[in-house]
Amino acid sequence: MPASPHDSDEFVSSGIVVRAPDGGVPASAARRRVREPAVDLSPLGRFAFGLLVAALYAFLLLPLLIVIFTSFSPDERNVYALSQASLRWYREFADSDNFTTAFKFSLWLAAIASVLATGIGFITAYGIVRFMRRRREIGQALAMLPMMVPHILISLSLLLVLTRFPVPELAALVIGHVLICLPFTIAGIVASLEGVDAELEAAAHTLGASRLRVLAEVTLPLVAPGVLSALIFSFIISFGDVDIALFLSGPGMTTLPIEIFSYIQWQSSPVVAAITTVQIVLIVLFGLVVERLVGLRAAMRI
Amino acid sequence: MHASDAPPKGFAAAMLAPITLLYLFCLLAPISYFLAVSFLRYSPTELYTSTPTLENYARLLSDAYNVGVIAETFRVAAVVTAVTLVLGYALAYFLSRAAPAWRGLFIFLVIAPLMTGVIVRTYGWIVLLGTDGLVNRALMALGLVARPLQLLNSEPTVIVALVHLMLPFMVFPVFSALVGQDPHLVPAASTLGARPLRAFLEVTLPISRSGVVMGSALVFTITAGAVVTPALLGGRDVMMMGQMIYQLVLSTFNWPLGAAFAFVLVLCQLVVIALYFRRTRHAG
Repeated sequence: MPASPHDSDEFVSSGIVVRAPDGGVPASAARRRVREPAVDLSPLGRFAFGLLVAALYAFLLLPLLIVIFTSFSPDERNVYALSQASLRWYREFADSDNFTTAFKFSLWLAAIASVLATGIGFITAYGIVRFMRRRREIGQALAMLPMMVPHILISLSLLLVLTRFPVPELAALVIGHVLICLPFTIAGIVASLEGVDAELEAAAHTLGASRLRVLAEVTLPLVAPGVLSALIFSFIISFGDVDIALFLSGPGMTTLPIEIFSYIQWQSSPVVAAITTVQIVLIVLFGLVVERLVGLRAAMRI
Repeated sequence: MHASDAPPKGFAAAMLAPITLLYLFCLLAPISYFLAVSFLRYSPTELYTSTPTLENYARLLSDAYNVGVIAETFRVAAVVTAVTLVLGYALAYFLSRAAPAWRGLFIFLVIAPLMTGVIVRTYGWIVLLGTDGLVNRALMALGLVARPLQLLNSEPTVIVALVHLMLPFMVFPVFSALVGQDPHLVPAASTLGARPLRAFLEVTLPISRSGVVMGSALVFTITAGAVVTPALLGGRDVMMMGQMIYQLVLSTFNWPLGAAFAFVLVLCQLVVIALYFRRTRHAG
């Protein structure tokens, strides 16, 4: 056994020697090629690592795939009879008042929260990038505040305010969602604004445009992809949220995740699979748009 | 006049006013109010009375059940963080070495589940692990078990589902740290005679430390605050602080004790975050 890892060592060093001559290709390509086998494993190790990665992807995706699969099942017992696939649970979803109402409410809530979070995020990002100068890092760190406290703390304290002061319940829910979206919209738009030349704005201003007009007609179009992806991304966050809505949902204003949560606490039916499949498709489509616009990872700030 | 040189104070203030007001009055003030309630006396009729007291904390720390909930929360969070670290590191390592043409797709496949939300993924685990679920059917088809196993309503299931939820939060900080690494370092180490394992432990791992620390802090704090997943998958077997707070506030209306629990949760999370910042500063 000890011989084999040693062999791979030899392989590694000879690999470097072999690689060196094709330094003739452009530097970036060469760098890319070197990067791949940073820790060179024996073929067996390579195979085992590949297997682990495949298992991890299966682990990540299986719970979602199984939900999609279940949503087409013909009846509750015979979940995996693919030949008898049916749309029965989708019809049941469409016919169930509770779920369709919650679905519509979630869409509205996410639309309002994402527009507000993107609007406030845009002017905040602009203020941070253009006016905070040396204190900019502090500004950006402060903007991340809602991300640093547990979300249930945000919703609980808003609920406490609701019980003591005459605030409309819907307002508290919207505020909660705007708060959890803001760190993402601000950070995303700050990143986009960094690519905008301040001189362009200065030029427009010198030519007589008011600051507000410069903001709307020069800056905004330049960062449109960043703003649009912030909008979609905050929509996704709001639509999928459960920590905020868990405490702030009320009669007539239950979000879809909360409706599903209260349903599956006591019963199980493939109708939930149908609903979540609709949700998965919706969100993956949105995600693809963000991916095209700015890249998902950049939008997620992780 | 050069516009960017002399921003009018009023305009700058107008840009930053909404966020300042929002964070002050809708975030910091309510949270301070909520945490302050933990120092007030519980009253069944009016949420709390304005008598300052430490009795909520005394009750929290003297009651064995409550201490057990706190201990369980941090045990689960620690196990989830450790497992996520090992698995997430492998995945991040794979992504950082994947061919650029494929990397985008592989990254998307890690992020896509994250976007669908907590409920969708927790539900996925219910479907997979139920008595009638795929896992039990497979086990029975293979003849490994005679009767379906009771997989739901147990702590291991909660941990598996939380690892699933948290994996992307570990993968990407580590990935960012690994991608920034000079690709020549490891080949250099091996040319100098380091075995793959040694090159990994002494070159790659230290470089990715900032990502490891950040990912771990993120996973630990989010897991410690989990409510819905342990509630749905843990049954009576698991009681974490988030669920406890949920019950105290929504079922027994004991806001002061719920707030005390929340305060302990936040304090512990702040300690973790503070450690994180100290560590990364040391790492330079």
